[in-house]
This record gives sequence, structure tokens and C-alpha cells, in this order.
Amino acid sequence: MPVLKFPEGRLESLTGLSRRELEDVLFRLKCEVDYLDDGYVEVEVNPDRPDMYVGEGIARAVGGLLGRRRGWSLPRIVDSGLVLYNEGPPTRPYIAAAVVYNVNVTEDYIEELVQFQEKLHDTIGRRRRKAAIGLHDLSKLPSGKLYYKLASYEDEMIPLGHPGERTPLKRALEETSQGRKYGSLSATDNGHPALYSGSDIIAIPPVINSEITRVEPGTRDLFIDVTGTDKATVEKVLDIITTTLAEREGAYLGKVKVIRESVEEATPKLSAKTVFLGKDEPSRILGLPLDSFTISDGLSRMLHNVDVSAGGFRVEAPPFRVDILSSIDLVEDIAIAIGYESIGENKPVVDRQGRLQALTLLARKVRDLAIGLGYTETMQLTLTSPRLLDLTGFTSRVEVENPVQQEYSVLRPSLIPSLLSTLSRNLHARKPVKVFEVGNVVVPGTPPPDEVRLGLAIMDEEVGYEDIQASVYSILRLLNVEFSVEPYKHKVFVEGRAARIISRGTLLGVMGEVNPEVLLALGIDYPVAAAELNLEVIAEWRSKTESP
Amino acid sequence: MPKEEYPLSRGEYNLVKKLADAGVEKGYVEEVSKKHGIEEAQLHSLLLLLQEKGLVKVRREEESIYVTTSKGLQALREGLPEEKLVRLLEKSGGSLVVGKVKEELGPEAGIAIGQARRKGYINIEKGRVILARDPQEILREISELKKALQLASEGGLREAPKELVERGLVTREIIRRTWFEFTTPPREILDNAIVEVARLSHKLLVSGEWRRVRLKKYDVRAEPPEIYPARKHFLGEFIEMLKDIMKELGFVEVRGPIVDIELFNFDILFQAQDHPAREIHDTLRVKEPKRVPLDEYSSLVERVARVHEKGWGYKWNPEIAARVLLRSQTTAVSARVLARRPEPPIRFFTLGRVYRSDVVDSTHLPEFHQLDGIMGWPGYTFRDLIGILREVAGRLGLELRLKPGYFPFTEPSVEGYVRLPNGKWLELFGAGLFRPEVLEAVGVDYPVGAWGFGVERLAAAFYGVNDIRDLYTRDVEKLRRLPVKIF
Repeated sequence: MPVLKFPEGRLESLTGLSRRELEDVLFRLKCEVDYLDDGYVEVEVNPDRPDMYVGEGIARAVGGLLGRRRGWSLPRIVDSGLVLYNEGPPTRPYIAAAVVYNVNVTEDYIEELVQFQEKLHDTIGRRRRKAAIGLHDLSKLPSGKLYYKLASYEDEMIPLGHPGERTPLKRALEETSQGRKYGSLSATDNGHPALYSGSDIIAIPPVINSEITRVEPGTRDLFIDVTGTDKATVEKVLDIITTTLAEREGAYLGKVKVIRESVEEATPKLSAKTVFLGKDEPSRILGLPLDSFTISDGLSRMLHNVDVSAGGFRVEAPPFRVDILSSIDLVEDIAIAIGYESIGENKPVVDRQGRLQALTLLARKVRDLAIGLGYTETMQLTLTSPRLLDLTGFTSRVEVENPVQQEYSVLRPSLIPSLLSTLSRNLHARKPVKVFEVGNVVVPGTPPPDEVRLGLAIMDEEVGYEDIQASVYSILRLLNVEFSVEPYKHKVFVEGRAARIISRGTLLGVMGEVNPEVLLALGIDYPVAAAELNLEVIAEWRSKTESP
Repeated sequence: MPKEEYPLSRGEYNLVKKLADAGVEKGYVEEVSKKHGIEEAQLHSLLLLLQEKGLVKVRREEESIYVTTSKGLQALREGLPEEKLVRLLEKSGGSLVVGKVKEELGPEAGIAIGQARRKGYINIEKGRVILARDPQEILREISELKKALQLASEGGLREAPKELVERGLVTREIIRRTWFEFTTPPREILDNAIVEVARLSHKLLVSGEWRRVRLKKYDVRAEPPEIYPARKHFLGEFIEMLKDIMKELGFVEVRGPIVDIELFNFDILFQAQDHPAREIHDTLRVKEPKRVPLDEYSSLVERVARVHEKGWGYKWNPEIAARVLLRSQTTAVSARVLARRPEPPIRFFTLGRVYRSDVVDSTHLPEFHQLDGIMGWPGYTFRDLIGILREVAGRLGLELRLKPGYFPFTEPSVEGYVRLPNGKWLELFGAGLFRPEVLEAVGVDYPVGAWGFGVERLAAAFYGVNDIRDLYTRDVEKLRRLPVKIF
């Protein structure tokens, strides 16, 4: 979830609201506000509203919700006179550009602009892969003729933040932190996409800009480029930035002519999506009778332009909204405008019987029996450490491809390692220590299936096979399960003191005395006996043998 | 005047009887113990108990006495050196050359001659040792000395002959003894004794002896031994409570695989295939298998492709949908349920484990439980959804506040905040009506509301656990001692 930081007072002065009012209005606009101790305010904005990643965007939405402004209109737009020739580099073929005049960048505003840019990169820009933004000081452009094409790795630029010597692109990509992070996104064998102003490289999208067009306090007008792999996204990102920055006092836009294969386009597109909303659709979906006035009022406060037409509403969503895919998204806007707390509710009527899974019911009974036998319930994660499974001899298991931590990099194929791990941390607990878990295991398969099992373990001064066997027999007999037992060999158990439990030809579980080698490897210096039963098999058995 | 009763424990009774039989009414504990074969510590403690009952007086005594040293014991065994000399001389006709004496008595010869001469038993003339008196008389004199030594070796002597002290044959020692004395004669005690027993037993009941004994009065305020019952895990109990609430609200429990495919975890849920949540650093995957065939879902796959291509404007890739992952949300189970196109009205819920690429800390686990509910029928509305959220929150005793939210698969979307006992608001529910794109993909033609929440965060708040890792504690003593929470 994108979290934005503003100096305290910035949003209050943009909206004219008190802290309390601001918190409340923003909550209704999907945002959460957190006043920090360091004089900053954090605003968490939902990822579907990139138009609110900057103060002007937040103030615009707030103004609408409060009814201070309604609908939208295009900002003043002039021809910038800039021409951009796009050769369509194959790895990143699209570019759109615009000028925003009178942005008047200050010390504080630079931070906010960079934050706006970065949050757009991280969300809609898919971490710069799909779309990336370059901000430049218009007055510093060496030439009004711009070229977007592949540059060779020997071509030179002055990377932003590395003033001084001109650097070959190859070095800029290898030696700057941005280069290491984003250098591989659009690189080709024989060059990297670059934006030229005249003969100077002013950016190598999506990696880094050039020092020569640096935006700094005092920069009045911005030249903005957006490059990417998806034309619609590139244009939409430019729409969001330009329309939002145009909210600044005195700001207006300048068009840039983009020529690709002799096809001319002017950007920003400032394209609006028109959606038809049925007259009864909001009432039907929300469950609240709404009249036409309420609907148009709500939509216009969410800054849509609304035309009441036959049977419904022709709605023109503002160019900065990316989340309006269909009429359902307008219904949500109406609900937001009304206020979720004002929509009311239908109290649920329970007119039918709920039901739990047979396995849930069985697990409950089994837990009661285990507790009756003196076992205390424990719960562990299914993600566990490969070392634990190696030490206990559970080598057949499902491994996580991209674990975050080694201790959580395999899925346990048995509850016994979890129980032994628990016992190893309870050597000083009052004996006997009897523990059980009813929990999931995951075994190899295509895809690997999970099972619910019961694991039991006893640790005491002295403990033997018959101690665990007695518990297992007691549980199985009380559950009416027919079973037989045969000798079993596994690294975790002592040979000759372990058994497999079979029910109607299916493996139901295992039990035995834990091998002293395993105990000592885990640091356990008391004898332990353990068992595991597959509750899926028991549930299956009971579903077959019990009359409904 | 009523007859006086003497309440005695079984042990006390047995002791009094034994002493009465032996005719002992007083004495030193140490001596009585030795003489009558009663373990000293036990005798001592029983006498103290009898003293508390006013039947015996017990007194500690400290005394300084002389006891025989090892040198003294040797003298007792072999004879005093001068005694040996006198016997040697007697045997040799009353005199012997000094050299011969030294030869016979070895290193003791010097002491023997010294002592004998001092006491006037012998004279030494011209290199010969000569008896000066009648040897029988001398030996009688010596035996007096040995008698004292003997007594000192047996029980100690209050006074010892100066000579024995000076010669290091006895030494002074402080000894502590316990003197006891019945204040009521043992016989009389026995005649009026009532035996008290600590624990009523099967044997007492069967033999009828219980009628002749008295159950001892306890200090009922004394602390008993500390014990704890075997019990359910608190997180497990919390999960079962949630399931019960769902059942009471008419929901049917369903279950789906933990290791699932992206088709159900993401694609059906209209999550764009290039959505960041689907990238490798946000979703946990397994090494084997990387993908599974989608053959069994062919018509579903066809609809999902159509919906994605129309909605997101890209070429939908079935290879991505076939990727295997550890499910990141239990909504994957709801997606599977909807893909079976159940007859409305529907109310289903699932509660199971989900997995995230998170580093473990006090607020994150790589794996936690999620509850996911879906309900729907023709005419189902957003107000119905809000109704169920409020109902569930209400049954958990929590106040609910609604905030518009965003989830790729619902619209309108809502987040439910609940006020915790500590007054803080916790973002709990994620909810919304499934988007038309989701319903189209699964082929369901009635509105469906979905809602879910993470179980651990709520459980932690319920139990006042500040570190979420403590929900999975391995400390059995902690689990045994956890106070009970009733809900």
C-alpha cells in the first residue's frame, strides 16, 4: 500500500481543513492518516488512486467530496513547440511527453514531486518496467528537438547526481545505484533507450536522468517524459501527472508533438473514459433506493462529468482516474460520496443451517481425546527448517523455491519434527511433558496435497513404546476405527520399537520410540515416544462406516 | 470429668507403644535409638510432635566429655607401653639389658622406659632395666588407668585422669544430646489414644478401622501442590470459536488446497498478470512442480482469458495461471467454490493457512490463518454485505467502522475497522462485492459478497499478545499456565 509523507500543515493549508477534519475526510476517501512525532504526516493511499499520490491530488479529491468543486474540465493547454521523434526502441517502445508551466518548484516541493514520481513507478509503473517518468527543467533543455532512440553503450551522458565528467552509458549503468537496480529492465545487446535533446542525452529511461536538466528549487516549468512498454499506461501516467500538477496556482500545460514512423500525435492525451451507468444500477447494487439527484450529486462530487440521459447516466470520468473500468466502479464512487456509514445495512437473516466440515468435527473430538489422555495442545507453522527435517530423517518434502528465511524454507511432511522441536525447548518443564498438535502437513505431489494429522509425543524420565501405543490404541478404538499394526523402520524411531498403523490397506499412521541419536541431535536428553495419525483417513473411514 | 483423649498420628502411636513395651519413659534419644533400633531422626521428630501435644518434654543438652583418641584406642588393644615393659621384664626374670628392651619394644621402648621409671616401676642400673616393685601390683595399678580409658572409649568421660589427657590418650569433645522424658506415662497415653490418619484409604474402609481412627484436621488454608491440566491451545480455541460463529450464521464450511495454482489465487480474482503481488518476491512458490496442467479447467480458463483480455487489454497467458504457489489468500478457496457454480442462495466459509513473503518479526509471520466468507443470491446487495460484517463484529463483541477500500476482485470494496479492548482501531475485514469480471469468469449470474480477515492479528488482540510470534510459542509451561479466556 503506497504510504506518502508530507510535512505537517501542507495538506491542511491545501484543503483549509483542521487535522481532525482532514483525517475524517481522507478516511472516507480510502486513506489512513498517521501524524508522526517528527513533524510529518503519513497518508496511506489505496493503489487504485495514483492521482492522490501528491498534495494537489489529495486536495482535489477532498474538495470534490466536500462539494467545493464538481466534475472536471481540461486545464489550460498551449502548444509547447517541442517536437519529439520516437524511433521506438524495441525493449521500451513508447514515449509521451508534456510541459507543465508555472510549477514553481521549491525546496519542499522537490521532495513531494520525487515521492509522486516514485509511488507512480512502484504501482502503476510496475517498478518502472511498465512505465517510468522523467522530470526535467524545461529551461535547461539544450534543444526543442527531442529524440527517443537506442543509444550505444559508448555514448556519453552526465548522470543525475554525478556532476562533472561525461560518462559512457555503460559506466552509468554499472556504477550508479539506479543503474544497478533498473539497468537490466530495457537494455538490449547493442544499446540502451535514451532521450536526446538535440545531441545531448537527457535521460536513459527507465534508469536515470541527466544532470544537465536537473530540477531544483527555482525551476519554474517542467518538461516531463513518460516511457514504457504499454502505450495506454504510458499515456495514462502522463495524464495523471499533468492534470494533477496543473492544479498548482497559475500552472498550465504545454503539448508536445510526438512523431513515430511519420505518425504525429500530441501528448498529453488527457483522454477521458465514458461509461454508461444504468438508472437503477446503483440502487440495485447498493441495496439502497437512490434518486437521480443523489446519484448525479455523488458522481459530480467524485469529479465525474454526468449527463442524465434516457435510462441512466452518461458519465465521463476525469483523465486522472485509472480505476474506472466499468459502471461498477462508478457505483463505488457513489457509495463513497454518500459515505459508507450512511448506506446502512441489512441485518442477516439466518434461514438455513450452517455446517462444519466432517474433518473439523473429527478434529474437535480427537483434540478432546488427546487432552483427556493428558496431552497439551501445541501449534506450529507448516513452514519449517530443512535442518530439523534432516535431523529427524524426513527427507521427502516440499521445498519453497523463494524462501525469505532459511528457518522457514520447507513445508513439514509430518508433525513429528514440530513436536520434537517443541520438546527440545521444554527439557526443564514439569515431567511428563505430553504434547499434541492437530495441524496441516504438506506432502510431495502434483500439486503437493495437504493433510490434517494428529501428532502425539511424550517426554519423561522413562518412556517407552507402549506408552504412546496405549494412547494411539485408546483414540482409535474410541473412534471405532479398525486397524492393524506392523513393524516399521524410519530414522526417527528406534528399530524394533516402531510400527505402522494400517486401516483397510491404507496407511493410517506411525508410532514408536524416538531414536536416541535423533534426540541427542536435537539436544533432548530425556526419552521420547511419538505417534502420528492421518485424520483424513479416519474421517474417510467414518464417513463410510457411520450411517448418516 | 470427661476422660482425656490423646490424638496421635499412626507414627506417634507406634512409637509410644514401642517405648511403653520396652519400659522406656526417659532417656537420651541417641541412646534409646541405638538400644531399641529406632531410626534417630524419626524418633527425634516424633518426640517433638509429642512434645507439641504436651505428652513429652524434650531438652537439648550440650556437654563437654573426654573421648579416647586413636592412640588411646591402640593402647587399649595392645596395652600401654609401660605395661608391655613390665610384662617383658616379668617374663625375663625381672631384668634385661636396655638394648634388649629396645629390640623387643621397638620405637615404644623410649616411652615405656620413661613412664615406668617416672612411676617408680623400674630402676636402671649399669645398662640394665630392673623391676622395682611387684609386677602384679604394678599391673593392677595400670589396669585402673586402662579402665578409665575403656570408659572414655565407650561413652565418654565427664572427668578424665590427668595423665590420660597429658599423654594424648583421651581428648575433650563437645557433644550434643537430646534428653526426653514422658510427662504422661506411655501406658496411660496408649490407653487413651485416638489415632489420627492423614488420608482415608481403601484399606481403612475395608477393615472397618476407619471407625477407630480419627481423620486429622488440616490447615485448609495451606497451599496445595501446584498442578496444571492438559489443555487446548488458545489459538486453536479461538479458531474453533470463529468457525462456530460462522456456522451459527448459516455458513457451510469448505476447504481448499494450501498449495494451489495462480488461476484460483489470482486469475479468477481478476488480478492482472503483471500485478506486483504476483511477482516472485511477494508470493511463495514451491520447487516442484513449477506448474500443473490446466486441462481439467478448460472452460474456466477460456472465460478467465476472455475477461482478462477485455478488462486489462493484454494477451492473457495460461502459463502464468498454471504456476503453483503457496496460496496467499483463502479467497482462492472461495474462487474454487464459485467455479463449481453453486445454486443460490449460498453461504460458504473457509478458515485455513495462507503464506506471504514476509520476514518474521513481532507483527509478521510467513504463514497465518485467514477466514474467508462468501454469500450471495439474486438481489444480494452491498447493504447485505455490510450487515454480515456488522453481525460478525458484533458477535466478537467489537465495534465496527467502515472505510472504502481497494481489492482487485471486489467493487465496491470496504475495509472493516474494529475497536479493540485497548481502544485502538484495527484494520480487520477486507470485503466487497465480487466484480462482474470475477462472476463472469466463474460463470455465476447472481451477486456475491466476499469478506475475510487474518485470524492471528485478531487473536493476538483478544489475548493481549503483543508479539505475534508468541501465538506459536513452544514453551509448554507457558501454555499450561495461560489464564483462561472465556468468550
